[in-house]
Amino acid sequence: MSEFAVLLRGVYGVWLREIMRATRDRGQLIGGVSRPLIWLLILGVGLNPYFRGEVYGQVNYVIPYTYLQFLFPAVIVLNIMYTSIQFAVSVIWDREFGFLREVLVSPMPRSMILLGKVLGGATVATLHGCLVLLLARFADVTMGVDQIAMAIGLMFMLSFGLTSFGILLAARVRSFEGFGVFSNTLILPLYFTSSSVFPLDPSLSRTQAVTSYPEWLVFLVRANPITYAVDALRGVLINFHQFPPTAGLAVIAGMCVLFFAAALWDFNRS
Amino acid sequence: MTHLISARDLRASYSGKVALDGVSFDIEEGASFALLGPNGAGKTTLINILCTLHRPDSGSVSVAGHDALRYPRRARRNIGVVFQTSSLDDRLTARENLEFHGLVHGLPGRRRETRIRQVLELVGLEEWEDDVVRTFSGGMRRRLEIARALMHEPKILFLDEPTVGLDAQTRQQIWQYLDRLRREWSLTVLTTTHYIEEVEDADVVCIIDHGKIIAQGSPERLKGEYGRRWLQVDTIDAATLEDVQARFPEAQVIGVRSIVVPAESADPEMFRKGTFEGKIMEVRHREPTLESVFLSLTGRELRDRADPGKVANGRGERR
Repeated sequence: MSEFAVLLRGVYGVWLREIMRATRDRGQLIGGVSRPLIWLLILGVGLNPYFRGEVYGQVNYVIPYTYLQFLFPAVIVLNIMYTSIQFAVSVIWDREFGFLREVLVSPMPRSMILLGKVLGGATVATLHGCLVLLLARFADVTMGVDQIAMAIGLMFMLSFGLTSFGILLAARVRSFEGFGVFSNTLILPLYFTSSSVFPLDPSLSRTQAVTSYPEWLVFLVRANPITYAVDALRGVLINFHQFPPTAGLAVIAGMCVLFFAAALWDFNRS
Repeated sequence: MTHLISARDLRASYSGKVALDGVSFDIEEGASFALLGPNGAGKTTLINILCTLHRPDSGSVSVAGHDALRYPRRARRNIGVVFQTSSLDDRLTARENLEFHGLVHGLPGRRRETRIRQVLELVGLEEWEDDVVRTFSGGMRRRLEIARALMHEPKILFLDEPTVGLDAQTRQQIWQYLDRLRREWSLTVLTTTHYIEEVEDADVVCIIDHGKIIAQGSPERLKGEYGRRWLQVDTIDAATLEDVQARFPEAQVIGVRSIVVPAESADPEMFRKGTFEGKIMEVRHREPTLESVFLSLTGRELRDRADPGKVANGRGERR
């Protein structure tokens, strides 16, 4: 029995437990299903005509996609953000209820324990992102198999980075209540400043050209790493980029490496 | 290598407070070793060091021939741990908890299956294997934890206060399982407890107080060596208690109106006549017990007792 097989089995064990727990957590699943429905079917459908400037009786948009199509990749990112960052609750739970010790006295190295956990959380988050993909038809987004594969790849990387970030947060939060506040003051602001619900360049349509965004908002959007994740996913799904196509991939990969390394450093120190 | 565990001069402190102050001991293969001491004596810190969760400030530990501080993963392969508070995932079933343990210990599929069946049988939980742990009683959880700690066939089992918080009947049941383990699997067992009657059956009892080992040996040896015969005197009021204390410098107060006096320095008749006449509720002899050993060594009683009435005959209670 090789050392490698033993490690792999351990990582699989930790991963599997996260998957099993997620399938039994009704609340999380309900959130994962209802969130995209609200955002796409209510907000998306509701704002769709304004985005295209049709309210003035004349269709004068310059780029050939609708608000629903524009919003669709962002809702995927939103679902991933919620699930990934709320994964921290599972980490706090393990710590507070003692399960962590069971893993720590096993012969698994800490790096492998963390890897299993992050992979588990990232898998669940990616699946929640895929729930949104199922709504593509309603958002008039048509995808080929290669686009779906690329999107899922990006989604998984993003999930991996954000789950690591969630674990970093968990190490700094002492209780569940604390985390609830944290996630709501973090997820939504990050989401809204990620060019998710409005494009960064206001001259997308002539109607919008007359308005211009204040500089601080443009700055926030550009500084927010989620912006580049949303942009990368838009590139794959509706072929629209506000930034160079490689920027998104680079930022997501950077988040993965940085947050995982930081989480590991934290975990080894504790 | 004759010792399964060797600890040398372990020192540990938490934020300036000394938890362990130079602890050394050896555990023989197949022995049952009991760490006895009041809450806060350093028992849990010691267990945490032995199972590599906590690094001592200084000292050395070897587990099954491996330096546990330098090669913690090798040491961990040889130990099974049952913590003081539950470390089960109570949203998973009993089987899933065991399966998880098997996976993180690297057991291959068929081996996991065999071991799950064996350990469930050992603790009598076969019927509940597919039930979610949340529905389990405290005793069932503890049994499942013991089963889980044995999944990977460790050489030594650590149990930190395995019976705390359980009712008398369940405690007895837990000890029956542990007895069976020692008999049938000839496992080495280290338990910590502050219930004195639970260590009567141990091969070696190690009494620890304020982070130091104050006595070590078989229960019989300890009783012979340190066990003094005492007279317990129950007075009718606190004033009399003070009088008794003033008269016998070696007397030790053990309760609001209870005091013990070395049997060699007093005679029960002294309390029935003369100065104390009518002020004493009861005078009785106390045979050397581990309780009296502890009292002699520390000048205190072990505060928490499982069942005060059964201190003297712990052995009989369990069989």
